[in-house]
Parts: sequence; C-alpha cells; structure tokens
Amino acid sequence: MNILFKGPIVLLARLILGSVFIYASLDKILHPQEFATAITNYHVVPFGLENLMALILPWLEFISGICLIAGIMVSGASIMTIIMNIVFIIAISQALARGISIDCGCFSVSSTTEGGDKIGLISLIRDIGYLLLSFIVFYRQQKQFEFFPKSI
Amino acid sequence: MDIRIPIVQAILLVLLAITISIGSNIINTNPIPWFATKLSVADNIDTTTNEPILVAVSLSQAKSFFDDGILFVDARDEGYYEAGHIQGAMKNLFLMELVFNIEEKQSKDKSLVVYCGDPGCGDSEQLAYDLKDLGFTKLYVFKGGWLEWSNAGYPSELGK
Repeated sequence: MNILFKGPIVLLARLILGSVFIYASLDKILHPQEFATAITNYHVVPFGLENLMALILPWLEFISGICLIAGIMVSGASIMTIIMNIVFIIAISQALARGISIDCGCFSVSSTTEGGDKIGLISLIRDIGYLLLSFIVFYRQQKQFEFFPKSI
Repeated sequence: MDIRIPIVQAILLVLLAITISIGSNIINTNPIPWFATKLSVADNIDTTTNEPILVAVSLSQAKSFFDDGILFVDARDEGYYEAGHIQGAMKNLFLMELVFNIEEKQSKDKSLVVYCGDPGCGDSEQLAYDLKDLGFTKLYVFKGGWLEWSNAGYPSELGK
C-alpha cells in the first residue's frame, strides 16, 4: 500500500489533478455568466450566491492546479481539491437522484452551442477518481519537487 | 502530520482566489453582478406597447396569453417536450433552428412566452436572454413552467 503514497505515483497524481483543474478552470474564468447559469441549474446554491461562486470557484480551481504542479503549498492545494471534489460529487448526486437533466458545467460551460456535456454516472465516477487522487497527494509520505514549503 | 499547516495553506489559497476573482471581475470589460438578480414578475402587462420587454409572468397571465394565441416556446430538452408540453408550444432543438421556426410564424417584435420545467429551472430565462440578444423584443418568461401548467389542467399535448 505504501508504494501508492511515495515517489512517482504521487508526482503523477499531482500532475493529473493539476492539469485537470487548470483545464477545467479556463473556460469558466472566461465565461462567468454561463458558469453562473450552470450553477443555478443544480439548485443547490442559495439564491443570489451563484454569481459570487461562479467568480471565485474557477480561480480556486486554477490556483490549486498551479500549486499542485509547481509544488507550492501542495498539502493545502490537495485539501482544496478534496473539498471541491466532495462538493461536486454531492451536487451531481443530488441532481441525478432528483432526475434532473442538466449540463455538467464541469469543463466547458458553453455547451449549449456544441451538443452539451450532461451530468451522468460518468461525471460522478470521474470526480470520485479525482477525489482518490487528491487523497493520495494529501497523505503522501515523500515530498518530491516541492518548493514551498521546502521539502526536507 | 500536523494538520494545521495544510489548513492554513488552504485558507491562504481561498483568500488568494477571492482576491483575484474580485479583481478580475472589476477590471473585466463585461463584469457580472456580484449577486444574481431575479426577473421581476409583472402584474400589469401592456401588450400593446412597442417597448422591448423581458419579464416573468404568472400562471394566470400565461393562461391569458395562451387564450390570446400568443406563441409559446418550450425551453426544455426534447425528451421532456415529448412527454408533455403546453399545447402548440414550439420545441427548442438548436437556438438557430428555433429562431428560424419562430420567424416563419411571426416577426421578432411579436410576443413570445418561454417556459421550462418548474419555477426553479433556469432554462427559460437563459433562452429568453439568448432570444433577446438575437433581436426578439417582447419576451415573457412563464416561471411556473410545465409543472404549474399541467397541475392547473390547462391544454397540453404529447409527442413530437
């Protein structure tokens, strides 16, 4: 089991998570209004706060992604990806449980023009995968290529 | 492992994200409002005016529009539409196709009622704003949507 939390697997997990989160954030940073609509459709955010969330969440994803890849505050960034993935999993599950068909808003938010990326079991399983990767990074036993705080 | 350090780091990341996002929205040429605003529900609607309008309407107002023969547009996905929709409502496949279909029936300055599933769904508002951007001037969003309409037992139909 220990092999999971050491060496190349941790680095790989950081790279995958980092790139996924950065990639996911870009379209939302560029289109906050569309992302706010996507959030509204989930019916979980109390009314009025969708816009603030649509502004802050993409930047949080972006910064966490950069930190994971660059080796800056990796523990803090992995806590953030754990929290975000748990929130995404809850949001998607409640939408699936209520049987509402909505756009995921996970990677691309301008889906109305290009067919759409609907939520489904796939998006749920994908997020659970990212959650596991985040836990691997958080519970890592070796700190390699981390520059702040300096690995010993 | 001392859990406090990662938590402090996480809080720092959140503060950084808040700062950047607020800053970027301020310098953005096309900023979004900090808090989402709801469409106001109009009580008295003057259908004779030529002023552009985009308001939410109640069930009874929607019914009177229906009785006046005003065109309804269903903003939901095809599957929901086929399972039941307001009688005579137009199906929303692709925006451009919808616009084409509407324009075959009426010009852009004629009234249109847009609705979706229930008062919580956002599709009708989104579609209304899209149509507004494309030059339609008299848009009414029936917030109660299919849920209120079908509960009231008003005319509806199935299928394509």
